[in-house]
Amino acid sequence: MGIPAAFRWLSTKYPKIISPVVEDQPITMDDGTVIPVDCTRPNPNGEEFDNLYLDMNGIVHPCSHPEDRPAPKDEEEMMVAVFNYTDRVVNMVRPRKLLMIAVDGVAPRAKMNQQRSRRFRSARDAKEKEEDKKTLLKMLQKEKGSKMQVQPVEEVVQQAFDSNSITPGTPFMDILAASLRYWCAYKLNTDPAWAKMKVIISDATIPGEGEHKIMEFVRSQRNSPDHDPNTRHVIYGLDADLIMLGLATHEPHFRVLREDVFAQDSRPRLCKLCGQKGHDERNCRGEAKEKEGAQGEKDAALPLKPFIWLHVSIFREYLAVELDVPNLPFKFDLERAIDDWVFMCFFVGNDFLPHLPALEIRENGIDTLVAIWKDNLPHMGGYLTKDGHVDLDRAQLIMAGLAKQEDAIFRRRKETEDRREAGFKRRKLQQEQQNARRNGNGQNQDSPLNRKGRRQPPPESNGPPAGMHLMPVTSIPKPVGIVTHDMVMNRQGVEQANLANKSAASVLKSQIQGLMNKTPAAAEPAPAPEAVPSTEEPKEPKEATDPKSPPSALGKRKAEIMEAESAATPADSSGAETATDDEASADTVRLWEEGYADRYYEQKFKVDPKDIEFRHKVARAYVEGLAWVLMYYFQGCPSWEWFYPYHYAPFAADFVDLGKMTINFEKGRISRPFEQLMSVLPAASRHAIPEVFHDLMTKEDSEIIDFYPEEFDIDLNGKKMSWQGIALLPFIDMPRLLRAMETKTPLLSDEDRARNEPGKEVLLISGSHPVYDYIAKLYSKKQGEAKVPLDTKLSEGLAGEIEKIEGYVPHLELRYPLERQTMPNIDEDRSLSCHYEFPASSHTHKSMLLHGVKLPTPALDRSDIELLKGKGRNAGRGYGGV
Amino acid sequence: MAATFSVDPHRYVGRSEPFKRPKEFASFSYDKDHKFHLNDSSIKWYYPPHPLNQPLYIDLSKGFSSFVKHDDSQDEHLDSLLKTIAHHESETKSPIDANIVTWRGMMTKIMAAPFDDDGFEMNATSYRGTIFIEENHAFKVKRNAEQNANQSRRRGPIPPEVMQFWGYKFETLCTLPRPWGETSRDYIEGREDEIVNNNEQYCSVVRTGIGKTILCLGGEVDALWDSKPRQKGAPINWVELKTSAEIRSANDQFFFNKKLMKFWIQSFLLGVPKIIVGFRTRDGFLTKIEEMETMSIPNKMKSTPNAPWDGDVCINFAAGFLEWLRQTINDDGVWRIRRLPKSYEIEVFRIEEA
Ligand SMILES: [Mg+2]
Repeated sequence: MGIPAAFRWLSTKYPKIISPVVEDQPITMDDGTVIPVDCTRPNPNGEEFDNLYLDMNGIVHPCSHPEDRPAPKDEEEMMVAVFNYTDRVVNMVRPRKLLMIAVDGVAPRAKMNQQRSRRFRSARDAKEKEEDKKTLLKMLQKEKGSKMQVQPVEEVVQQAFDSNSITPGTPFMDILAASLRYWCAYKLNTDPAWAKMKVIISDATIPGEGEHKIMEFVRSQRNSPDHDPNTRHVIYGLDADLIMLGLATHEPHFRVLREDVFAQDSRPRLCKLCGQKGHDERNCRGEAKEKEGAQGEKDAALPLKPFIWLHVSIFREYLAVELDVPNLPFKFDLERAIDDWVFMCFFVGNDFLPHLPALEIRENGIDTLVAIWKDNLPHMGGYLTKDGHVDLDRAQLIMAGLAKQEDAIFRRRKETEDRREAGFKRRKLQQEQQNARRNGNGQNQDSPLNRKGRRQPPPESNGPPAGMHLMPVTSIPKPVGIVTHDMVMNRQGVEQANLANKSAASVLKSQIQGLMNKTPAAAEPAPAPEAVPSTEEPKEPKEATDPKSPPSALGKRKAEIMEAESAATPADSSGAETATDDEASADTVRLWEEGYADRYYEQKFKVDPKDIEFRHKVARAYVEGLAWVLMYYFQGCPSWEWFYPYHYAPFAADFVDLGKMTINFEKGRISRPFEQLMSVLPAASRHAIPEVFHDLMTKEDSEIIDFYPEEFDIDLNGKKMSWQGIALLPFIDMPRLLRAMETKTPLLSDEDRARNEPGKEVLLISGSHPVYDYIAKLYSKKQGEAKVPLDTKLSEGLAGEIEKIEGYVPHLELRYPLERQTMPNIDEDRSLSCHYEFPASSHTHKSMLLHGVKLPTPALDRSDIELLKGKGRNAGRGYGGV
Repeated sequence: MAATFSVDPHRYVGRSEPFKRPKEFASFSYDKDHKFHLNDSSIKWYYPPHPLNQPLYIDLSKGFSSFVKHDDSQDEHLDSLLKTIAHHESETKSPIDANIVTWRGMMTKIMAAPFDDDGFEMNATSYRGTIFIEENHAFKVKRNAEQNANQSRRRGPIPPEVMQFWGYKFETLCTLPRPWGETSRDYIEGREDEIVNNNEQYCSVVRTGIGKTILCLGGEVDALWDSKPRQKGAPINWVELKTSAEIRSANDQFFFNKKLMKFWIQSFLLGVPKIIVGFRTRDGFLTKIEEMETMSIPNKMKSTPNAPWDGDVCINFAAGFLEWLRQTINDDGVWRIRRLPKSYEIEVFRIEEA
């Protein structure tokens, strides 16, 4: 995910990098027949694309918890949702040469720590949500006096799909891989737009994060002399970070495709409890579903959520302007400058290290660094990085530049926060008075993210726009005596301020206790202060733009992304969940006051404030981390075992004598899927792990029981929102974990054992692809060598090695791998599959353009450039001399 | 008595002789010491100093003092070409079917004759029905010496050896000994300081046809654009590297257009699809690199007013001349093919009895 809020920041600063996707829709005729989109026709976006890469977890996750319909009932429904979503994305792009589907495989250790934190939190949230539901049900049952019918528990509370199953090594991932292979073969047999397309599937059995496997593929192709330097690449995924990866390829024709998470849509949101329309979970009364009818038909015509392009080529234009340093004593090289820029973004945030305390994306931390970089570049003697390697002497100069500003940054941050807080309180007061006057005639105003053609990003700072409700607008009049979920869940007025730091569960308990003590008649159905009767349809702020609703267990990851990007500054969201100083979260480090470093190391690291060498040690580990991340982005994983062994980052001032360091990485051992599962999953998600290991996670006498705490602290670390805090989980001690698992491994079933083995990429092509005969030879008896290089002239540029799949016989029946035959079998499968390996190269990526490259026509005009230059003059220089 | 064949371009207008796409069937390399190898070891890959067509300013004279120059005082005859053909014949166990075997350079002189004033002298001999043509080495040595003397008198400060060096320097700046993906950044960025050595060559041996004559031609190719196809005989994306003075006036343009004829013929004969021209200042600084499609050059000439040459005429003339030559050389003696400077005809006469 990289830097939360990066996407928002980028699209504000570099507005032209975004444009809407033009999408053809299938046409439904009067007689109900549907004419599918003919993707052999020219792309309606006015431009054709060669390669589409799917970071598949960005499809699987949203499909497991869609926003616009109930979650899939079972795995088959889930797979069909995945097919449909994938089909839509492929049809949008219409890749003419290649489709690569990459599912996350086992991750480097550095990443597992983040996964662990996410999954433990997710389990904790899920548990809370489950408790909420149960409480609601209990309350509903007590309401039997009312006319409402209480549904059996199973009908109201659906078994939630545990998104933690979306981790390599689970049976679910097996089904996903088989389903994807079937679906691609099916498309190759039936869709003419796929006839000339090569399909590569890298499923969860192949190590590496999806997007990084894609990057490795792009790098491998670039190293092939037959790669077309004008290949038009599109990568689909949710992470804003993909734009950094796009830059890192140095392929100028590169786009990122993603859902427009800010799009305002008119679709009614569905209740997350019962999956019905017309109310949300706050107002759920657990009623039975209406019979399918006219309403159901209308659903089909609901507008789809729009997609957007992020143009790496236009981003490159912006960076060319912004990073230009005149009068350099050496040649300015945009490719190298871009790499330095990407590197500096890692300081502000990445998945593998906590960001430096002084650098916040929202405070334009990147600008601060760019200013330091531009001032230092002329006397650095060269660039900060080179093809994924850091020059540590030069890195020291940048850190020293930042260290000079560090104190001022912290002080300024505090001043700004105080000012915002005051402003917010003032506005809130005004609003309350206003509301009182209007007697609750409140209306939900348009979100600041209102779209009018191009996105109008909301102002960066400021509190919530006037009229934006901080409380849910429950517009359905509530008859007295009926309890709704909202009455349980809604945290009201003064109470709200204190909630962030208590767990949601404990808050709930106290609320319910309060409610339950009253008799039903006496229980005022106290509506939220802003709740007003209205005849209009309920118009709820979506979760994405609703700073108050915490990310639910379902959709947590996406919600995190969206909140991070859409929720405005932390202060904006203070209405509901701002931590106040009187709580445990009170910031006792007080970065804005002298002596903060002593307090920080004492409180966070539990280390004697006099131990300065310790701080340098942390800083060295951090620099190692930065070097690791840089390598990971530009050359591929330098070490599968390396990780940053602290929960907190050092200060810029702690980086000293970096030039004296030498950094070497050992490739290390790649984890097996079950080891990763045991490293990242909490005991509550153990259903995704073979049973033989369960005791290790649950039994008190397990030698590794300390890895699986039920309770753990979240340190807000100066932040306001709980999702921004740091989960203080113990780090996994790998040797101990492996020793513990070893005792159980012999007990694994053959089936489980197979799921723990690494797999290979698969290449699929249609019967009419020019390389068909060449690949078919693999399956003829004459074939001598096991592995042969692809003929790049026949494969239309795809380089690599192919190998036959043991046990695969071409032209047999294509079988639908799931139970209910939602999709058909095909009698004779005319597609062809083989194993595929990226072209082996001992040679590393070089951040250079390839010969023959033709840059797209510039998209920025003079006024765009002047605007950016104007911003650039002051950007990042707010904290005194550099 | 000499037989003569007119080079008057007007006679060859309007006809359209067929030509066959050249197909490489064998190749060889000279290494850094100009030692012969029956392999692809000296093949080069194209990668310019800057991949975008940006303004450059690179000194093409830099490193002249360390230039490792091929000693061309020795007559190399057709040795390497014949060795390569012989090897090919022994591998395929069948003789090649060419009517004429020669270096690409000889065919270039012949094809250019209708629009060129230069004289040439070649020796030809027929063996088993195939005519082998090579340059008369003594003539070449003499002519080169004269040309150098002329040039230094005309142009002044820059010695002709340095100007020749510019072309080799440009090749060193624009090529890599391995594909880009297998070459280090340090090598790529350090090419300005790389020692220039023109001993090293990769030569392609092709079969082609002009009119009714089948030719086997050998010639140096500068670099690959991408990779050699796995399939033998498939078109290869070679590039030919050339340098030329910047075009600053109509006169410059006219001379450049004239020069383009040789660029085109050379590439056309070996099936090189792309010509990369490095434009330089008068004092030898590379300022711009331009790519041209070989095929498009004659067409571009056709639409140029007062075009100094016509590609169709070159082909038609060559077709006619070769057919005539095959009839003229009617025994196994040694023959001379000669054109005097500015002459309107090519003479062919026997200089040695069979
Ligand atoms: Mg990913």
